[in-house]
Amino acid sequence: MILWDLFQNFFNIGIFSFGGGYATLPFLYNISEVYNWYTFDDLSNMIAISSITPGPIGINMATFAGFKTAGLIGSLVSTTAIALPSLIFVVLISKALRKFRENIYVRSIIYVLKPLGCGLLSAVGVNMFINNFLGENINLYNIVFLAILILISLHKKLNPLFYLGISAIYGIIAGLQGF
Amino acid sequence: MTNISLKDIYIRFFRIGTLLLGGGYVILPLLQSEIAAKYEEITDDEVCEYYAISQSLPGVIAINTAVFVGYKLARTKGAIAAITGMVTPAFLCIILLANLLAQVVHVSFVQSIFTGVGIGVLALLFQAVNEMWKKSIVDNGALVIFFASFTALLGLKILPMYIVIAGILLGVVIGFFKGRRA
Repeated sequence: MILWDLFQNFFNIGIFSFGGGYATLPFLYNISEVYNWYTFDDLSNMIAISSITPGPIGINMATFAGFKTAGLIGSLVSTTAIALPSLIFVVLISKALRKFRENIYVRSIIYVLKPLGCGLLSAVGVNMFINNFLGENINLYNIVFLAILILISLHKKLNPLFYLGISAIYGIIAGLQGF
Repeated sequence: MTNISLKDIYIRFFRIGTLLLGGGYVILPLLQSEIAAKYEEITDDEVCEYYAISQSLPGVIAINTAVFVGYKLARTKGAIAAITGMVTPAFLCIILLANLLAQVVHVSFVQSIFTGVGIGVLALLFQAVNEMWKKSIVDNGALVIFFASFTALLGLKILPMYIVIAGILLGVVIGFFKGRRA
């Protein structure tokens, strides 16, 4: 049953994704490999659209992935499933907030999960780079353009709209010029 | 506390969800103006604390924060009202755009836009990783954990869920030794 699989997968994301925003990506990437719900290329479009629409990025991506998988009902299931663990966790700990924050086990787990989440997201990024840039249609212009964007990002933290806007324009020009 | 309406919580979080654009970092000022300034039950400091703890919990940070606020205002019902409000604008926008995209995705003009946007997405990921790196790689131990999880996913193709579970276990072990030393 596809809806039950969808629920389980996104419930797991709600429990195990850690670090906000794009931290759900390693899981969404894994889903694209295990199931045929959406492709790796779809994932890139999902990130783009989730980054420029209102709302938390994690929710946007869950809604999008659910929609791709099983339409409107799918998106309702995935969105509910990803939010449900938050409801349970937060209600459980909100009675002893300070105790939770100062607990040595909690602090140690957070110490591990932060770099771990960073490593997972890096792995997805590298995989996307290999897939999109080093495949059969290797393209020097694209690599140079990416390098420029990355240099800009090192210099200053910019709104996602900037990167996606300028790269959309680049895509149009590249399409017209045929490179 | 009894006169806080669920509808009011829903509408306030609907507003926050609509204004939440380009990452979760803008949520704090929104919570201060939409929640702390409007409800006597919640102060600026509390909102900041909720947001800080939400970052150290699993799941979507904005949703965690919404549950904290909603629960404080009107228990579980309030939490559900807050989540629903926060999710509604995101949900509607994505459904609309996903439908639109499905209809135009085969147009070659749209395809070249998305080919370009794919490059921008990589730059976005790079920026996100860079931000996470600054906050998380605090010592050599953290660096080792970074490379271990990177290799586990990219090279060994281990399920992310298992990598995270291994990380939690490692955290428990570290906590145990730190607790004994203290």
